[in-house]
Amino acid sequence: MGFWVLLWKATLVVGLAVYAGMAIWVTIGGARDIRRLFNRLDEQHKQGPS
Amino acid sequence: MPVPLANVFSRTNFSALDWGIVAGYLSVSVVIGLLVRKYVRNMADFVTAGRGLGTCLGIATLTGTEMGLVTLMYSAQKGFVGGFAAFHIAVAAGVVTFFVGLTGLIVYRLRKLNLLTIPEFYERRFGPKTRILGGVMLALGGILNMGLFLKVGSIFIVGVTGLSTEGWALPTVMTVLLVLVLVYTVLGGMISVVITDYIQFVVLSAGMIGITILSARAVGWEGIFGTIQAEMGERGFNPLAAEGGFGIEYVIWMVFLGLVGCALWPTAVARALAAESPQTVKKQFMWSSVSYMIRNMAPYFWGVCAFGYIATQSPELQEAFFPAEGTGTEMNNLYAMPIFLGRVLPAGVLGIITAAMIAAFMSTHDSYLLCWSSVITQDIVAPIMKNRLSTSGRIRLTRILIVAIGAYILYWGLIYKGADDVWDYMAVTGAIYFTGAFALLVGGLYWKRASSTGAVMALVAGCSAILGLGPVQDLLGITIPSARMGLISIGLTVTAMVVGSLLFPDKPKPAAEAPSRNETAFSAGAASSKEDV
Repeated sequence: MGFWVLLWKATLVVGLAVYAGMAIWVTIGGARDIRRLFNRLDEQHKQGPS
Repeated sequence: MPVPLANVFSRTNFSALDWGIVAGYLSVSVVIGLLVRKYVRNMADFVTAGRGLGTCLGIATLTGTEMGLVTLMYSAQKGFVGGFAAFHIAVAAGVVTFFVGLTGLIVYRLRKLNLLTIPEFYERRFGPKTRILGGVMLALGGILNMGLFLKVGSIFIVGVTGLSTEGWALPTVMTVLLVLVLVYTVLGGMISVVITDYIQFVVLSAGMIGITILSARAVGWEGIFGTIQAEMGERGFNPLAAEGGFGIEYVIWMVFLGLVGCALWPTAVARALAAESPQTVKKQFMWSSVSYMIRNMAPYFWGVCAFGYIATQSPELQEAFFPAEGTGTEMNNLYAMPIFLGRVLPAGVLGIITAAMIAAFMSTHDSYLLCWSSVITQDIVAPIMKNRLSTSGRIRLTRILIVAIGAYILYWGLIYKGADDVWDYMAVTGAIYFTGAFALLVGGLYWKRASSTGAVMALVAGCSAILGLGPVQDLLGITIPSARMGLISIGLTVTAMVVGSLLFPDKPKPAAEAPSRNETAFSAGAASSKEDV
């Protein structure tokens, strides 16, 4: 049973830590992607009517 | 003597401040969703945001969609019932998603084909009839699967806020939440969805980490492991334990569901199809594997903590959730996590957490509503009408369908009385679609001899999954564990695809109808580069 306790403790702590780091990266990068998305849609719409 | 429900629900820390935080968040979210609708000019904008999602935005929206409040609720329920052993489901999901990202299995090729939906692939590979049948199966399984989302999400809201003593509370909360989501999904389509998903990702991520830390503090980090050991023994940790609720069959089923969740489920595939390039898809899925694991693991932990809290700190709740035989009805264990949070989180924090949960609720509903409605428009109605439906007609029909599906989930949430765990209900209803889809996508993308007859047979064989549903088994007087029924269905669909294709191969196309570049891209022999999985 000791193996399972250790496994689940480690998985939860490491998983949450990695997720926290990823969340910060995605928050910053996502804001940049939104700007690019709007620019791209504007360009597409200027190039030709749908 | 049974505990009065009013006593159980009324001891929440949820205050006027928390209501203010929730209302403020919802208003901002809906207004932003409405503001971006000016960018919608055609069906590609409406359904795939003009195929312009970068890696980070793709991860945010994939996470926002797949980390719904229903996911958090059914996961907490699994943790409450199965203890830490439920963690294996999260690990399976994370590992499989990472594998799909690393290899590009299924999703890479689908994105390369520039499709809008999965049934569109069916048509290119197997013909228009398969597309329509595939669309019907997908919409049937998907909409049925979504049937309990609204009810389960509303159970969280009424449980955490303490509204639940009022008989009108659940249907009222269901209706209000549904209307909010419908407004901005109908008007803004995928562009509104990805922008609100992004906001919801930010709020939700902070909320999830916060809840996990505060839950651990409330019951004690070491104490919770000791409590589970004392109350559940080995079955609370080892998913393969003989006396546990899982077992090897269930674990294998969960590994397959891990593949379904990231590479077959249409809302996840929709994010792959909306990515700016096939390469982006691979990065998006590799990184999203972390959130695929955490979206289950964190709420399992909350469910485990709720169990620990009830077992050691609240005799009154213990009596409500685990009444002694003959002393009353057991309370629905979906309420355990929200009631636990309502008691251990302080006012203010509770409002932020509830806003995060509503964020999760909305980000899933908007994507699912958009996904199923666009499948009906694009893959059932438009092909039947021989593509005479104009762009504006398609968008209008999709919007009408979004409202119709919303009305259905309100109705189904109020009438369904099945006793299955929510997760098992969702796995079974989803299997109506994904067992057939698995055979068609893998066969169609990687096996040259897969034929349209084999595809139709596999789709029909997928219907066998419905036998895993509790009320259906009661009706037929049979008892088959849902995991076993799911595995049997996969076996049937794969067999149907192989046998049907070998017995009834497609006729070779005349030279004038030689396959286009896109068609050859998904034949097995086209995997020319290492990347082209």
